[in-house]
Amino acid sequence: MKILENHRLIWSRLMVGFCGLSTLLISGLLLLVLGYITLHGLPGANLNFFTRLPAPVGMEGGGLAQAVAGSFILIGLACLIGIPWGIGAGIFLSEVGKDSWWGEGVRFAVDVLSGVPSIITGIFVYSILVVKLQSFSALAGGVALGIIMVPLVARNTEGILQLVPQGLREAALALGLPFWKVILKIILPTAARGIGIGVTLAVAGVAGETAPLFFTSLSNNYWSLGLLEPIASLPMEIFRYATAPFAAWHELAWTGALVLITIVVSGMLLARILLPGYNFRR
Amino acid sequence: MRIRGLLVVFILFLLWTAGGCGGQPGRGGGDDAPEAKKVLINGAGASFPNPLYSRWIAEYCKLNKNVRINYQSIGSGAGIQQFSQKVIDFGGTDAPMPDDQLARAPGEVLHIPTVMGAVAVTYNIPEVKGKIKLSPDVLADIYQGRIAKWNDRRLEELNTEVKLPDRSILVVHRSDGSGTTNIFTDYLSSVSPEWRQKVGQGTAVDWPVGVGGKGNEGVSRQVQATEGSIGYVELAYALLNRLPFALLKNSSGQFVEPSVEGTIFAAAGAASNMPDDLRVSIVNAPGHKAYPIAGYTYILVYKEQGDPDKGRELARFLWWAIHEGDQMANDLHYAPLPGEVQKKVEEKLKSIHFKGKSLL
Repeated sequence: MKILENHRLIWSRLMVGFCGLSTLLISGLLLLVLGYITLHGLPGANLNFFTRLPAPVGMEGGGLAQAVAGSFILIGLACLIGIPWGIGAGIFLSEVGKDSWWGEGVRFAVDVLSGVPSIITGIFVYSILVVKLQSFSALAGGVALGIIMVPLVARNTEGILQLVPQGLREAALALGLPFWKVILKIILPTAARGIGIGVTLAVAGVAGETAPLFFTSLSNNYWSLGLLEPIASLPMEIFRYATAPFAAWHELAWTGALVLITIVVSGMLLARILLPGYNFRR
Repeated sequence: MRIRGLLVVFILFLLWTAGGCGGQPGRGGGDDAPEAKKVLINGAGASFPNPLYSRWIAEYCKLNKNVRINYQSIGSGAGIQQFSQKVIDFGGTDAPMPDDQLARAPGEVLHIPTVMGAVAVTYNIPEVKGKIKLSPDVLADIYQGRIAKWNDRRLEELNTEVKLPDRSILVVHRSDGSGTTNIFTDYLSSVSPEWRQKVGQGTAVDWPVGVGGKGNEGVSRQVQATEGSIGYVELAYALLNRLPFALLKNSSGQFVEPSVEGTIFAAAGAASNMPDDLRVSIVNAPGHKAYPIAGYTYILVYKEQGDPDKGRELARFLWWAIHEGDQMANDLHYAPLPGEVQKKVEEKLKSIHFKGKSLL
């Protein structure tokens, strides 16, 4: 008996230790990545970076002002497309078409969509928008990123809405509220925080996408905010600068990576602080 | 409701930017030239001339404030592809478009050579201080794995003044599709019938032996790290990074080192038989001082322009580049066009038109 208990005790300790180690490793990994990028990126994070345009190849100076602005515009466009569409699909999956064959079909489609490599989305938008408009454009980039966001937002919204207690729906309906009002006034506000945090995760996901932008927004060496012109973005510039054979460019790439990560992380933190309501995620 | 407010602000911002991009009256209108309309010209393609193009564009746009030229170096192949789909205004490529691609293009394509580049053969033999000499057949056999040792009898016959070690040769080539590879394999195909038959020419080929490196920097890093290795990089890169390079036997039997001058001589030797469409290979060109592994890099434009403003500014920029851009090209180790070719390019630029009217 004694031996068996010991055996169980040892096994339990071992497993707890393993869990602890995994936790340490994952937070350690995050710190390591953040620390490494900060270490390399911070020296270049000066005023020039945020105010200047890129210098010609091999020359000193220059910044990535147009890429910072471009990334914001691309992410904004992606949100305009991805958030309403994604949340709408999520509501449908959770509230309307839950058990119907149609709902199952949509759910399957969303799952497949979320598994489509982002570069395929890029080529799709290239062929329907870029080739038709005869130009790379911010619009095409935003559409590609928006399409990538839709399944992420939809599945997350569905999951969060499922967590809203069934009793709330029944109580609201019993009071005579029409179904659409129940969704809009009762269920969505209750789940707002969870949905919002899901959206920031999707934004973080697309903010770093490079492959689809290759085929859609390309890049721009100039300050350009026009939606029908090619537009610069941080991931594209990081890719370009990191693979170039000049040390000064590598530094710009590191700083670009630092700025990108800062934008994403602060977006996530802001959402957690600002969004009202109960977080069903936890 | 905070979210709704944010959304409204964001949409207003988007509308403002969308509206603001077209006009920019503050800058375009005030220029001295009344016809100067603000244009953005988009181009993409070859990475090899990118350092020069970006310098040219920076200088040119300083002089012409109404023009912005956005060149993205994405590789020759992608440049041709996107140019053919007309999603960019001009393409850049190190390899001229082949006939079948020209036939499929949606308009008549002009090849505008801008500068020339050369490919240097670099190596790492710690025992050898001086420069080694290579002949075309020996180089082809090294890249086919037939000569596997540095002290091979044929190498020793070429290099009587240096003592070559008993070391294996490691062949290094590009792993990515590249215009440099196109010029290099063009050369090997033109000097070795066997190479032409078995491997051929292209931006990426099926290499018989060796290891790959990405980009010029990948190849040079590999060569520097491995004793006994041999590789090829573009001349500008070799000069800037002070890599050792081999002397090559040219078609006149002279051993020449890669240089801007040698490249110009190669172009001059090939200039007389330049075809009308300017698509020409200048590898193994005649001339005592001609360096044999060289090639033009091109800008692709449509003869019939869809937008007169863009077309005019593009033609003006190219005209400026081949005339005023020479010095900058020299500084960056690119070879400017020989006079004869420049004349032919002028004709081409004058033929760029919109609705039957020349744009220059």
